[in-house]
Amino acid sequence: MIIHQTRSRKIFVVLNYIFMTLFAFVTFYPFWYVFIASLNTGRDFARGGVYLLPRAFTLENYSLAFQNSQIFKSLTISVGRTVLGVILGLFFTALMAYALCIKTLPGRAFFSFFFYFTTIFGGGMVPYYILLRDLGLNKSFWLYVIPSIYNFFNFLIMRTSFAAVPLEIRESAQLDGASEPRILFQLYVPLSTAILATVALFIGVGHWNDWFTGAYYQSRVDLYPAATLLQKLLNEASSTIKTGQETASTGALQSYTSQSLQMAFVMILTMPIVVVYPFLQKYYVKGVMIGSIKG
Amino acid sequence: MLGTALIAQAAGTPAGKKRADLRKRIWQHRWLYLFILPCVIWLLVFCYYPMYGATLAFKNYSYKLGILNSPWAGLKHFRTFIYSPDFWRVIKNTLVISGLKLLFSFPAPILLALLLNEVQAVRFKRVVQTFSYLPNFVSWVVVVSLMNVIFSPYGGVINDLRKNAGLDSIFFMGSREYFYPMVILSDIWKNAGWGTIIYLSALTSVSPELYEAAAIDGAGRLKSTFYVTLPCIKGTIGIMFINAVGGLLNAGFDQILLLQQPDNQLISDILDTFVLKTGLSQGRFEYATAIGLFKSVLSLGLMTLANEVCKRTMEVSIF
Repeated sequence: MIIHQTRSRKIFVVLNYIFMTLFAFVTFYPFWYVFIASLNTGRDFARGGVYLLPRAFTLENYSLAFQNSQIFKSLTISVGRTVLGVILGLFFTALMAYALCIKTLPGRAFFSFFFYFTTIFGGGMVPYYILLRDLGLNKSFWLYVIPSIYNFFNFLIMRTSFAAVPLEIRESAQLDGASEPRILFQLYVPLSTAILATVALFIGVGHWNDWFTGAYYQSRVDLYPAATLLQKLLNEASSTIKTGQETASTGALQSYTSQSLQMAFVMILTMPIVVVYPFLQKYYVKGVMIGSIKG
Repeated sequence: MLGTALIAQAAGTPAGKKRADLRKRIWQHRWLYLFILPCVIWLLVFCYYPMYGATLAFKNYSYKLGILNSPWAGLKHFRTFIYSPDFWRVIKNTLVISGLKLLFSFPAPILLALLLNEVQAVRFKRVVQTFSYLPNFVSWVVVVSLMNVIFSPYGGVINDLRKNAGLDSIFFMGSREYFYPMVILSDIWKNAGWGTIIYLSALTSVSPELYEAAAIDGAGRLKSTFYVTLPCIKGTIGIMFINAVGGLLNAGFDQILLLQQPDNQLISDILDTFVLKTGLSQGRFEYATAIGLFKSVLSLGLMTLANEVCKRTMEVSIF
């Protein structure tokens, strides 16, 4: 009986390791595949058979992507909105989270509900669009920054972290005559850097990845961020893909294809995340835990 | 959970204290009100004003008059929607996609967490986790781009392998019969790994003594999973379930939007994409607002229902 148990256990353990390895492979391989596709000449890639390493290595796709003025402009917009979005988002979320972690604040329950309610009910896309249009944001870069300053989830993470700071610190600082802004920025903020980094990254990734705002609320094509531009390219590609192999019809002189260019663009969008993310993984995980437990 | 916290706070506010006292306390906290002010204004403009704007659903919108002064139209737009041939199609698509996701995508991270929990080699486990979280951080646009290349009939790795095996290549991304499998597979690929975080942490809180006791009682690994592990993390599962049901009518909006193709439109139109199409693309503002409002109210109802069910059966609730 016992021998049987251990044998089935052994089989399970081995299968489990195989499954986990496969799982990790399936998760990572698509990124790798597109990575080698971006480093291969488009014409050669379309012949198929490139699985693990580039066959006809080239950096042409990247140089063309960066030379493309539309792609370059969209990247500057993405970087701009990410930087501004993180700074402003962090600043205003910290202000609010600090105020609402103070339990003696009159009206605290009301404000908490006022904030929470927006997460369970909303007016919908059309009234929101009309509002953006009436404010003139649909023709402006600020469309990406101002309407996304606040996020309930980030607020919750930060408030939980501020609430963990011992109250005595605030009280003794007050006795010493420190003002609230000083307590927040010189005591609470330095004590919560890990969580602030987490929130900053959540905000940053959100901005970097957001394609929807640009695609549906932005009426100026020259203000598209990179993610939106990629979506538009994707749409164009899917409308031509059925009619025929573009790769077969393009002239023999051209070694790249719109697909290989697009792959370079996808990698340019993905690289910053892939590079930064493993280092910050533990912070992210902590942030998720706080957010989900309290939410 | 948040709800009970709110009630607890409300009970803690000194209702009987004198007005002057309250005024003094408000004055003491003046800085904090100043801190909240920008966000309150922001919320009023970007969240509460559009809620008011949802009254558009009951009006005949005129660009010149604005939302406030446009004439009332009663339930006309709701009626148009409910009697339109699109109604059942869109509702059905939304529920089918959400149902499939509840069936396949919801249990995926639980299963994955249980299996990961059995992995003894710490470093191996960490590597697998690092890989599995990655797709959560890239946008759906990138995911769909990756899918387009991998499943491409022209040189994509899947069809390449099929050809080598002597099979015909399939246009996975554009064929109607592959739409639902693609939706579910990509959903699991992108979200299952990240979803394990919360279950893994719930699993660490299961006391080892319980396993020992189960082992003494002769329970094997599988049995103790069913009788020890799952009951211990059912609270977490319950909360995730309530959230999943609350988002049932969303059905993964931007994923669907990006995977939509002319060929699969009949089965891929969900409530949100339909709002987008009728509202922002065709300019039928009131009609689209009515559909959006219909969805919001229904979602809130569903969430409350799931909350009640979980409260009764699993003793967990979110409000």
